[in-house]
Amino acid sequence: MVTGEATQEIPKQSVLEKGYRLDRLKAIADGKTVESVVHEDVLAAEPVLRIDRFSLFYGRKQALHSITMPIAKGQVTALIGPSGCGKSTLLRSVNRMNDLIDSVRIEGDMRLGNDSIFAPGVDVIQLRKRMGMVFQKPNPFPMSIFENVVYPLRIDGERNKNKLMEVCENSLRGAALWEEVKDRLHESGLGLSGGQQQRLCIARAIASDPEVLLLDEPCSALDPIATGKIEDLIDGLKGNYSILIVTHNMQQASRVSSHTAFMYLGRLVELGKTSTIFTKPLLRETEDYITGRFG
Amino acid sequence: MKTRSDSNGKSLIAQGEPMVWLAGGMFAIACAMIVSLLGLILCQGLSTLWPKPYVVFPLEDGNFVGGEWIANQRYSISKDSIDELPEQAREKASRLLGDRSLLVSDQVYLRTGNFDVGNRHFTYVPTILLSSEKPVIPKDIWLVERLEWGVLFGLPIRIERNVAPEMDPGFAKKQLLLQQIDRFRPEDVADQQNFDAITTKLRDMAERSSGTGSDTLKKDIEQSFVATEPNEIQRQLIDSESRMRGVQSEIEHLKDRLGELDGRLARARIHVRKAELRDKTDLLSSLDDGIELATSLGGIEQQWRDFNDSLAFWTAQAGDESTVQPWLKRIAEQAKVEAKQELEPIAEALQEWKNTSIAPLPPQSKNAVEEAIRLAQEASASQASINAEISRLESIRSSEQLTFAIPISDGSQLEGVSEGVGFVRQSQSDGSIRYGWRPSDGSKVQGLTEKTILVADIVRWFQPNQLSLVGKARVYLSRWIEFLFGSPREAGVEGGFFPAIWGTVVMTLLMSLAVMPFGVMAALYMREYAKPGWILSLIRISINNLAGVPSIVYGVFGLAFFCYTIGGYVDGGPVKAGFTPWPATTWFLACALTVLVGTVAFVLAFLCSGSPTQQSPFAKRLSSISGLCWLFCLLGFFALLIKTPFFEGFYQASLPNPTFGKGCLLWASMTLALLTLPVVIVATEEALAAVPNSLREGSYACGAGKWQTLQRIVLPYARPGIITGFILAMARGAGEVAPMMLVGAIPLAMELPLDREFPFFHGSRSFMHLGFQIFSLGFQSQNSEAAKPMVFTATLLLLTIVTLLNVAAIWLRARLRKRFQSSQF
Repeated sequence: MVTGEATQEIPKQSVLEKGYRLDRLKAIADGKTVESVVHEDVLAAEPVLRIDRFSLFYGRKQALHSITMPIAKGQVTALIGPSGCGKSTLLRSVNRMNDLIDSVRIEGDMRLGNDSIFAPGVDVIQLRKRMGMVFQKPNPFPMSIFENVVYPLRIDGERNKNKLMEVCENSLRGAALWEEVKDRLHESGLGLSGGQQQRLCIARAIASDPEVLLLDEPCSALDPIATGKIEDLIDGLKGNYSILIVTHNMQQASRVSSHTAFMYLGRLVELGKTSTIFTKPLLRETEDYITGRFG
Repeated sequence: MKTRSDSNGKSLIAQGEPMVWLAGGMFAIACAMIVSLLGLILCQGLSTLWPKPYVVFPLEDGNFVGGEWIANQRYSISKDSIDELPEQAREKASRLLGDRSLLVSDQVYLRTGNFDVGNRHFTYVPTILLSSEKPVIPKDIWLVERLEWGVLFGLPIRIERNVAPEMDPGFAKKQLLLQQIDRFRPEDVADQQNFDAITTKLRDMAERSSGTGSDTLKKDIEQSFVATEPNEIQRQLIDSESRMRGVQSEIEHLKDRLGELDGRLARARIHVRKAELRDKTDLLSSLDDGIELATSLGGIEQQWRDFNDSLAFWTAQAGDESTVQPWLKRIAEQAKVEAKQELEPIAEALQEWKNTSIAPLPPQSKNAVEEAIRLAQEASASQASINAEISRLESIRSSEQLTFAIPISDGSQLEGVSEGVGFVRQSQSDGSIRYGWRPSDGSKVQGLTEKTILVADIVRWFQPNQLSLVGKARVYLSRWIEFLFGSPREAGVEGGFFPAIWGTVVMTLLMSLAVMPFGVMAALYMREYAKPGWILSLIRISINNLAGVPSIVYGVFGLAFFCYTIGGYVDGGPVKAGFTPWPATTWFLACALTVLVGTVAFVLAFLCSGSPTQQSPFAKRLSSISGLCWLFCLLGFFALLIKTPFFEGFYQASLPNPTFGKGCLLWASMTLALLTLPVVIVATEEALAAVPNSLREGSYACGAGKWQTLQRIVLPYARPGIITGFILAMARGAGEVAPMMLVGAIPLAMELPLDREFPFFHGSRSFMHLGFQIFSLGFQSQNSEAAKPMVFTATLLLLTIVTLLNVAAIWLRARLRKRFQSSQF
């Protein structure tokens, strides 16, 4: 039931006691080491990505505290938690986007399949090619829709027109955008609506057939209809891709994900099947957060 | 208690109205300044070339003053200044002045022209000196623009054409034998009589042959004429002008050929000098003797060739005249002997000189010297014939003349004129025409000065007081065309500005070519690669401050660094640039050291390569050592360059005349590039900073490397901003004058920096620059009063060029921007 560097067994009864909950959140706020609760069935699933005692520091400030969690293959894992709890930081660490910030220092490791992500000598560029990432705000490049989608292939030097066209069509179909843009592939990608732009970014992310798809609050800048489309899309992508999604929207997490991880102040608090987390979580804190009693 | 609503509608400050008025007022003042500046330049610039009427004012003292009316200006008379007036006016002035201490009056500003007679281009005449403020407008006055001496105003008296035999192309050939024939006078007395008879016969034939066959001399002589009727003068002048245009262009062509010959000779000399430097011999000192011999040999050979031509001509002319032919044959034989006598000693001397001076030389030097000697010999022959042809054409050029009566009194009086007022025409008893000035009171008629000019010197002529609007527009247009596409006359005061326009455009483009890669790369490094910190901030602040350094400072730096140091280095190696070269051993040691340090730096950099987040402190120390090594390597490279004992310059042969070691187009462009570098760097940095980080992250997330991201995402997105920097740099660079004065702009350049002559681009030439031209015309030329109107026209032109360059760049930017227009949400 409990994993991590357990120094202390937590009996299930006491977990549900209110007094202990307060202790737990207070302990986290005080900077004490608190064990994560990871459900058995999550551990049983085959992982595509394993995060192993991963800590991250911005200068002196520690943003992530020894996080250990598996990401199940072919499933959607949602990261939830209050603002500033390190969800995005964790997500951006997976494809080492945090390397771009000078003051960042890390401890621990992550493993994609059998390959370490943070070992010295890892080719970051090759690593990133195995993952796709979609950002909070749609960020299509200032070029045509076609060029936007095939960008990952272009930087690899692919020139074959037919190959590019095929990838473009498949990706756009995969991102449920093909029907809307097939007649204007060579117009600027910036001419699309916000929701379409975000789907374009998803098409770009899946163009190189990644092992993991990282979605960083992909719907936070979109209206409900566009959000609905993206959610349908994520649902459709499930199975083919392993998806890690950060979201603030509890309903969204419950709708699209199969696993949910609750984070608080840089710690993983609880990780389990979405159905379990949203109905009967092991920890009272999780329940409080999901029902909106704090956070 | 006072509520907030109480003050509503009462406090002006709260409503913000006063600030609207203040800000709006400032805006209006700014607009007014721009409009008035542009208006002044447009008005003055556009009106300068428009033909204006010619007016004549009668003066109190019975004299008169005439000129193109330019403006009426303020003129104040005080008690002191009265004494400076002429006597007649003094009384009038003191009467007008009365008890007041100051009287404001007018003065007329006239362009008198006729500088060669009246010694002035412009004059101010106080209206107090005029007997009438209503000017006489002479209908028949002509305005003539000339190649020299500026504008002439006058009344045409006659046009004449004096054809002389020397103007015929065959004349010289025909005369040569007759001139030289006395040399062949036989010593035998009996023969002498015969010889004299033959000579007379030939002279007769020369006379008779005029006007027959291809010889058009006689016809030409008949074509001499004098015309005095105004209409006839105009008709003849139009014919004459077209003839003169042909002659003029032929003369210019021949002069170009002479220049070309000189140039070839100079190049041959440089070749010899190069050979001398290479083979460490002393060629140049003895070369002059050889060239002198070769020149005289070539000249004399040409003389004898001409004589033989003449002889051949006469042999053909004489036909089967049995008495003449044997004599001609005899002369030919004798000439052969004499030519040999004359030529042989020189040829021998030349051979002798060759044997002693160049035979012992290495083959390459020998070839160079022989080439120079051969060229000198050829050039001297062709120079002689070209000069003969030029003097013939010059005589044709000066044969057609136009005489004017200039509206300046010559001190004489014309008798018997009773009719008309103003300029009156009088036919003299000998058929000639005279003009005089008859004032309205008709007292006495003053004769006008006569002035004769060559038709070939006329650039443009018209009658300003008879022009219709269309006629004026045509003159205006033709003046503009000359202004834009012609070359300057009279030290740039008249004529075209084409070299200046061309120089400005070429220099600005070259500057942009130089500054763009530098500036963009530097900004790219500072924004994308360099680690932010106090050093970077310091550098950024310094660059921003550099933009405010007075441009003359850049001029001084450009002169010292580009012209004297780098230019000197290119010309004559380190010694010329002021560096003492190391001995060869030291240099090789330094070279080895630099290579060693470079290798170490490379190995270290290779060892500690990798992501900075993963580096151990040891690797970080290694990488900083590597950086230091690179720096040392770079410094070493420069030291090796400036201390090399093995480089003596690319243009050492033409020293002490500098090639690149002086102000020239290349260094001027470089100086300006340096001057505009901060502008480009700042603009590019801003453009790069404006690229959203989300785009960069998106690209990295796709697995793109740093350079791929820069090249495919960041630079295209920043391009409009970078081009804005380019526009600013160009606008600043094109208008900069102060540094130009030091690094290569000159008031009058004979050659263009970019032309049809191989290798087309001549970076080492000085050039003309519009901005500098404005300065030198308006304030430096001897005749700055005459040049003032041109200053405005040149200013207008400079503004137009800068605007055009900017518009082109703005258009480019707009086109690029359209591609990145976002219609997000």
